[in-house]
Amino acid sequence: MANKTILEVQNLTKFFTTPAGQLHAVDGVSFKIEEGKTLGIVGESGCGKSTTGRTILKLLEPTGGKIIFDGKDITSYSRKQMRPLRQEMQMVFQDPFSSLDPRQTVMQLISEPIIEHKLLKSKKDIEDRTLELMETVGLAERYINVYPHELDGGRRQRIGIARALAVNPKLIVCDEPVSALDVSIQAQILNLLKELQEKMGLTYIFITHDLSVVKYFSDDIAVMYLGQMVEKAPSDVLFANPVHPYTKALLSAIPLPIVGKEKPKRQLIKGEITSPVNLPDECRFMKRCDFADECCKKCNPKLHEIEPGHFVACTRVAEGTI
Amino acid sequence: MAEDLVLDIKDLVVHYETEDADVCAVNGIDIQISKKRTLGLVGETGAGKTTTALSILNLIPNPPGVIKNGSIHLDGKDILKMSQEDLQKVRGNDVAMIFQDPMTALNPVMTVGEQIGESIMLHQNISKQEAFEKAKEMLKMVGIAESRAYDYPHQFSGGMKQRVVIAIALACSPQLLIADEPTTALDVTIQAQVLELMKQLIQEKEMAMLLITHDLGVVAEVCEDVAVMYAGRIVEKGTADDVFNHMRHPYTEGLFDSLPNLKQRGEQLVPIRGLMPDPSDLPPGCSFAPRCPYATEACTKSIPPLKSVEGSKTHFVACTAYENPDFSLRRNENGK
Amino acid sequence: MAQTNSTGNTKHVKKRTMLQETWRHLIRNRGAVLGMLFLLFLVGAALFSPLIFDYEKDVIGQNMQDRLMAPCAAHWFGTDEFGRDLFARVIYGARYSLIIGVGSVFLGLIVGTILGSQAGFRGGVVDSIIMRGIDIFYSIPNIMTAVVIVSLLGTSTVNLMIALAFSCASSFARIVRASVMTIRDQEYVESSYAMGLPTWKIIVKHILPNCLSPIIVQITLLIGTTIISASSLSFLGIGVPAPAPEWGALLSAGRGHIRDASYMCIIPGLAIMMTVLALNLLGDGLRDALDPKLKK
Repeated sequence: MANKTILEVQNLTKFFTTPAGQLHAVDGVSFKIEEGKTLGIVGESGCGKSTTGRTILKLLEPTGGKIIFDGKDITSYSRKQMRPLRQEMQMVFQDPFSSLDPRQTVMQLISEPIIEHKLLKSKKDIEDRTLELMETVGLAERYINVYPHELDGGRRQRIGIARALAVNPKLIVCDEPVSALDVSIQAQILNLLKELQEKMGLTYIFITHDLSVVKYFSDDIAVMYLGQMVEKAPSDVLFANPVHPYTKALLSAIPLPIVGKEKPKRQLIKGEITSPVNLPDECRFMKRCDFADECCKKCNPKLHEIEPGHFVACTRVAEGTI
Repeated sequence: MAEDLVLDIKDLVVHYETEDADVCAVNGIDIQISKKRTLGLVGETGAGKTTTALSILNLIPNPPGVIKNGSIHLDGKDILKMSQEDLQKVRGNDVAMIFQDPMTALNPVMTVGEQIGESIMLHQNISKQEAFEKAKEMLKMVGIAESRAYDYPHQFSGGMKQRVVIAIALACSPQLLIADEPTTALDVTIQAQVLELMKQLIQEKEMAMLLITHDLGVVAEVCEDVAVMYAGRIVEKGTADDVFNHMRHPYTEGLFDSLPNLKQRGEQLVPIRGLMPDPSDLPPGCSFAPRCPYATEACTKSIPPLKSVEGSKTHFVACTAYENPDFSLRRNENGK
Repeated sequence: MAQTNSTGNTKHVKKRTMLQETWRHLIRNRGAVLGMLFLLFLVGAALFSPLIFDYEKDVIGQNMQDRLMAPCAAHWFGTDEFGRDLFARVIYGARYSLIIGVGSVFLGLIVGTILGSQAGFRGGVVDSIIMRGIDIFYSIPNIMTAVVIVSLLGTSTVNLMIALAFSCASSFARIVRASVMTIRDQEYVESSYAMGLPTWKIIVKHILPNCLSPIIVQITLLIGTTIISASSLSFLGIGVPAPAPEWGALLSAGRGHIRDASYMCIIPGLAIMMTVLALNLLGDGLRDALDPKLKK
């Protein structure tokens, strides 16, 4: 299927200035997403995945690179210019506790975007639309005048999703939408997001640290490490044939709920993520990598295609030595 | 097995009595752990896992928490009958606890070495110098260079801090280690390292461990025994093999069906419908009945007791449905 | 400590709105209730005093035969050196004290909230300029500022209010700034941006309502302080112009008779003290009732 590209990100960078020096939160990330698809961005805390999501939505100003949304280069759009575009790109936040204003009722929370973008005028229409949205995300009508603190995490996350859907967006950035929830609730929300995608043709960027969630959800997966993409491939390919040493380690570190049966041997990686401040021009994963050798010190590897659609940034893979 | 019993909880009932309601957090649970074994206590938020753990150290905040019933024997001594002073000796010395968040568990103005040393000095009659030397040994044991004993907690990363917390917990060689979601705040690669370390130390030090978690993957990795908790009761318990490969309770099945881990892309997850019941207003009979796909009239009549599965000595389940000898879970049927 | 799984659920047991919850906590605090009752009485006195007393005759009309009478059945609080009934004057004085206290605090509240929210929300240079300005005001004693302003503008009740509003504004600005800074980083603010709300709407709709509790507490406490400042200024003779029965002015008038008619000092002094005490009790009660951390 040759779908239309809805979002293209080219060489996106976001640096923060800290007393210790430049913090490379996002450092040269590029990707494209087709309409109706899901891109999963995976990585550990501090790898820049959330910053990437927020920069794409221009909640943070990018330091460099280009963001092209629906054919428009929005990189240098001001807050005001962005405002009408907010109808088309939305976000679902991680923490269903802090992402809803505690002093607003469910009705106010869900109708806020409708009123703000003047999608509907009459009070009656707004209320009907709110009720319709509540039904879409599976919230019972009786919660309409309830405050978020009276609800559990799963229901709050449903409010967050309803808010995002209220403006009929094309793209939704989901930043760890289920990591604060219990497994049984997690499954409910994941099913809901999936259903909505099929029904409304939504495009998702799904940011998470949980590889099993991403595998279930995404068409393509990008693995990030210290602000850069180290591997990108279609979901099935990545899980069947991970190439980058970090991806391999990440996959094998997931504790699988299997007992007794044949279980893949785990590869533990040593050490912890290094500081993203003032990085030298060498492979960023080198210090934790079992395969590192002299050539890894020479330069910071770029993504290259090893098979159609499968990109890896590793000097040794490029040389064909692993 | 019985002679090595480290922890023996019988019919524990803990309620939180607030002015609004009586919250039934733990409603009659039995747990046994013997030496060198790890029991995984699995359940969702609000199942009563943490309350169970806190009662073992008699640390339930009172008020509003009240231990209504039951006994907790630690190495033969009843914790609930001990005086405050005896309890203080037990805490940290015989039983140690690791909490979820390593960021707040350490004192930011003391060096790591001093903190480990302090916990040793509390329970053993040795000098500060000796304690510090011992602290260094402990650090080495958890895989941190001895030279870092002079560093402050903020100089450590999250995974390293959790290692320090483990070192403090193990400093007095406790018989029982209670770990409450010890790796939830850590990244997967770090989690794998820490779990590996804990597994190895349990064997080396001949301890018993109670691991509280919501992550079935972690349980599979570390635990020999598993107890599944729902609304303050244990609904199924057995060896890891019993519970993971021959599960009997519909809730256990629901938990596994909700996991995206083993699913293929495109497959629908099967969530458990509804929500955990309000612990101050539990439904009559089996607490899981309102969410259970197999529930019948009989389920709401009485609370099912834990019964042995087909005469097994290790595997127990609390489900009324098994009174019908032909009953089996959908998952098990497909497997057959 | 790790979250205690079970206790977290207790608040779902009964559903109340935040206002009801706060009220319930407040009325259980004995001090706050006492304070509230006294203030209600005072507000009532201030509102109805023109109906009870004739200002021209009872409050400022001189009656030299009855001068300096000790408290008795006819004059509950005694009379002053011009034979005016002190009871009437004190009750009538509540009007002045309350109007000045409430007026200058609200004036300060408006200015302080605007400055504080701008400083807290924008940060950077705007923050530095506003806050350094406020620091300068803070470093000069309140009374000094007020004296300078009143002497520039001339003595009148309105000018006194403006003078006192300055110090209120700076303390409101600080409180609002601190709360705005913590709330600014909450995800729901980011969520409003993602929704496409303009900045001013985010401040008005989402940030300010959430820093309401410290502001409410500060309002009650500051009214007390302001009443004292107003009385001090009147005591110094630059407050409300005579013959208005402002409490500070009554106190000042009684000063000369502290030996022969001590009640002239004691009674207005007590009035000031009890009002401020009541406000402080209410403020403390509100602080506890509004703080979610103290709730179980």
